[in-house]
Amino acid sequence: MNLSGLIEKEHLPAGRQDLAEPLVAHSQRERILVAMADSCATKGFNATTIADICEPAGVSRATFYELFKDKEDCFHAAMEVSLADAMGRVVSVYSPDKPWATMVRDAAAEFLDLLASRPAFARMALVEAPASGDRAFELYASGKRVLQSLLDRGRDDPVEEEAIPSSAGRAALSGAESLIVGQILAGNAERLRELLPDVVYITTVPYLGQEEALRQSRQAEKLLSAPGG
Amino acid sequence: MAQAGVGDRWRPPRGRHRLPPEVVARSQRERLLEAAIRVVATKGYGAMTVSDLTGEAGVSRTTFYELFEDKETCFLAAYDNAVDVLVRRVTRAYEAERDWPDRAAAGLAALLETLADEPALARLSLVDVGNAGPAAQRRYRAAIQRLTPLFEEGRDFAPRGRNLPANTSRMAIGAVTGLLADELVAGRAEQLPGLLSDVLFATLVPYIGPDAAAREVDRLTR
Repeated sequence: MNLSGLIEKEHLPAGRQDLAEPLVAHSQRERILVAMADSCATKGFNATTIADICEPAGVSRATFYELFKDKEDCFHAAMEVSLADAMGRVVSVYSPDKPWATMVRDAAAEFLDLLASRPAFARMALVEAPASGDRAFELYASGKRVLQSLLDRGRDDPVEEEAIPSSAGRAALSGAESLIVGQILAGNAERLRELLPDVVYITTVPYLGQEEALRQSRQAEKLLSAPGG
Repeated sequence: MAQAGVGDRWRPPRGRHRLPPEVVARSQRERLLEAAIRVVATKGYGAMTVSDLTGEAGVSRTTFYELFEDKETCFLAAYDNAVDVLVRRVTRAYEAERDWPDRAAAGLAALLETLADEPALARLSLVDVGNAGPAAQRRYRAAIQRLTPLFEEGRDFAPRGRNLPANTSRMAIGAVTGLLADELVAGRAEQLPGLLSDVLFATLVPYIGPDAAAREVDRLTR
């Protein structure tokens, strides 16, 4: 199963060809995108001005408008680049040899670590994007769909899942998301990894049952306290 | 009590101007609160002006500033008011039942019906809350907090309650609001009541596991 193909074909909107080109070749563009993400993290997308972006990026307004149509366009590009990178990292934990629960745990750990190490992206992707217009929302939603398809892959015995509503995985992800967003809004993004046992529990309980989900959650907790965890 | 003489005969009120001033102010305030929800829902909080509010509510600017300091205080009063009505309705429905799964089903049904009746408020609180500024976002999270005990009772009901993660109720609430937001984004506010079995399963599953949750959903939504 080719999961890296997931984000390319099924889930992200078209028009991402620029990502294939090295970011170095776009250093001005890259600096603008970073400044956009930083400004979103500190003052939010609505309050961000073009000056807030140009000044730290060291580019003129004219350059900004050569590269982007407007503030929305720039936000969209920033979100697109960082989301594709983030989803690529999370999806890379998938291996057909791993048990499903291990894969979910590894993906959750990767995602939490990524958000913790990039608090500006965390805020942009999970706090600003869902509330900053239709295009940004669609990107946010596409990221969620990638995570959901990861949750849906490699689960055996779908026969026993007949009684479970098809929305169960989507609901579980939203449950995990609200916990993560709460932590980000509280200014504790760097401690997101501590949520791993909770995230493992909520995403596995509909499919593995309570006893096994609790066991997986305790294992995730041990992983946290292990050296290097 | 002395009988009323002929001269004191009751007469119908002559017109609106005879209403006591505090009654007039109250209805003007209510109209402004309703207008705030509608305007924010259609054009967003950032673009909303005091003129939008006075135009929509049919009151003068002077009246507006007699009642509210600025557009933010008006909007936040509207938001608090609407959320308060919502939380009270959900709590009343919840408390009318006895066992936790039945209580959860009744509370969630009331939530879905109220939001379906007020799609503007529903969208505003569950989808566009970030647009309405940090103060509204904090209030939204405070409102959600008021619903936490309803979910947390699941811990007493659940056989494994004491072993569940500390954040179980927060995640269960997030699962429910996530499903609601998806439906609202898809423009299906009026169909929210049809989501009862999905949100009920999402509420019950972290507390009692998938098998028991599916059985309870079946019993309670049949």
